[in-house]
Amino acid sequence: MTRYAMVIDLNTCVGCNACMAACAMENQTPVWKNKWRTYVHDKEIGTAEDLHRRFFPRLCNHCSNPPCLTVCPTGATYQLDNGIVLVDDERCMGCRACAMACPYDARYEVTYADVKTATEFYGEPKRRHPSMDKCSFCAHRVEKGLKPACVETCVGSARMFGDLHDPDDPVAKLVASGIAQPLLPHLGTKPNVYYIGDLKRRG
Amino acid sequence: MEPIMSYATQDVWTWWIAVYLFLGGLGAATLTVTFLTDMYLKQHKCLVMWGAVSGVVMLGAGSAMLFMHLLHHAAVIHILNPLVLFYKPDAWIAWGTQFIIWMMWWGVLYALPYIVESPFYQRLPLVRHLIRWPFVLKIAALCERYHKAIGWLATINGIGTAVYTGLLLQSFPAVALWHNPGVPLLFTVSAFSTAMAYLLLVLHVIVNRPEDHDVRVFYERLDLMLIAGELVILFSFYHYMQSGSEALYRSAELLWTDMGWLVGFIGFGLLVPFALELHGVLKGWSSRLPIVTASVLVLVGGYLLRHYFLYAGVYARPW
Repeated sequence: MTRYAMVIDLNTCVGCNACMAACAMENQTPVWKNKWRTYVHDKEIGTAEDLHRRFFPRLCNHCSNPPCLTVCPTGATYQLDNGIVLVDDERCMGCRACAMACPYDARYEVTYADVKTATEFYGEPKRRHPSMDKCSFCAHRVEKGLKPACVETCVGSARMFGDLHDPDDPVAKLVASGIAQPLLPHLGTKPNVYYIGDLKRRG
Repeated sequence: MEPIMSYATQDVWTWWIAVYLFLGGLGAATLTVTFLTDMYLKQHKCLVMWGAVSGVVMLGAGSAMLFMHLLHHAAVIHILNPLVLFYKPDAWIAWGTQFIIWMMWWGVLYALPYIVESPFYQRLPLVRHLIRWPFVLKIAALCERYHKAIGWLATINGIGTAVYTGLLLQSFPAVALWHNPGVPLLFTVSAFSTAMAYLLLVLHVIVNRPEDHDVRVFYERLDLMLIAGELVILFSFYHYMQSGSEALYRSAELLWTDMGWLVGFIGFGLLVPFALELHGVLKGWSSRLPIVTASVLVLVGGYLLRHYFLYAGVYARPW
């Protein structure tokens, strides 16, 4: 059984934000209110003599034990057999419990006004109902054998997408080696987005 | 991976959820205490009617607060269906919604035999016509026959609703302040304490009968014990929050340095009513004013607890 995962190498992310733009166009996110399915944080670390700039891409971690799915009262948040966590916007009533439960700040509101604006902004609308939206690992692309839009567009190849259950997959190898680590593993959410720490900053 | 942590509170669930949790707990506990009083302490038709009507109104108002803030109102139909408990038994909002809905039904049905024979309701416009319908009278007779069973169904749903208000916050693993078993306990004790306070207000201000003195004293004693219990739980929370995780420590910094929490909730919402009720239990009061004051303060404190608890939840973010 396939288990999709993403590895993000913080050493090669240059903070160009192309992933954000590609995702926004692919998934019609409400960029007019600065809400994104994936967001690249830009942080300065250290003092004036020894200052490093760190870009930190963030998205839904498609947890194997997703707290957003557990708390969702309508069943709008669901998980495919391949591990991708999706939202059925027709079923989502927008109580925001998922946003409260998510440790990775992956959920954001899409309101009635956003649905209307999206039609004017992007043309043919992809969603018709308000919901608590999130990254879908571009499931619609993945099922066609394509990579998620953010992975496809990443100029530094910082984002890698693959199958954890395929031992020959580079992503599975990086995770198995222990170089790539998940965020907040102590919470028991079993996230499927892994990060390779920025070695330069750590010397 | 060596995360660089940042810490943040949330602005997703704010005062309107605090109102929902407060009214949900208060309404459900009010119905429960009223019915248990009527079944086992002293039959009190007037108290049941006041408790049932105000409890149902509180539950309705709290639920309306949540409903108004939904993003997609039509989709609420999915949790109004009782079958939701079969396909989403792990979601506390699903349980809470069903508890609240059924609590309101049992609340109305328990009070119905008293309402149909009440001179007040027989004079009330619209209601007076409604309670004369043969169908309603038949249901009232049926409810009278199974009064205790309905009372216990209401009690189970009432306790379930009060516990749910805490379990809801406990189900968010990202916030250490909320994700612990102390929260449902604290919110349940607080719900029943505010219910006692509300019913004391009813018995002192609205249904002020000399023959209810024993019920008032019993409620004061119960409330005193509940406030004492709440103080013990809060003391445990204070110590729990001093270490364990950075997010928890930051929650402690937010809560235990805030005058609204310290003076407003702990001081005026718990300690002052505790002192007033303790004096009432030990030596008695010549006037009803101190207990009325204590009840109002407990009610305000009940809201403040939920308000500050929501605002002090801190998320640890690894970026």
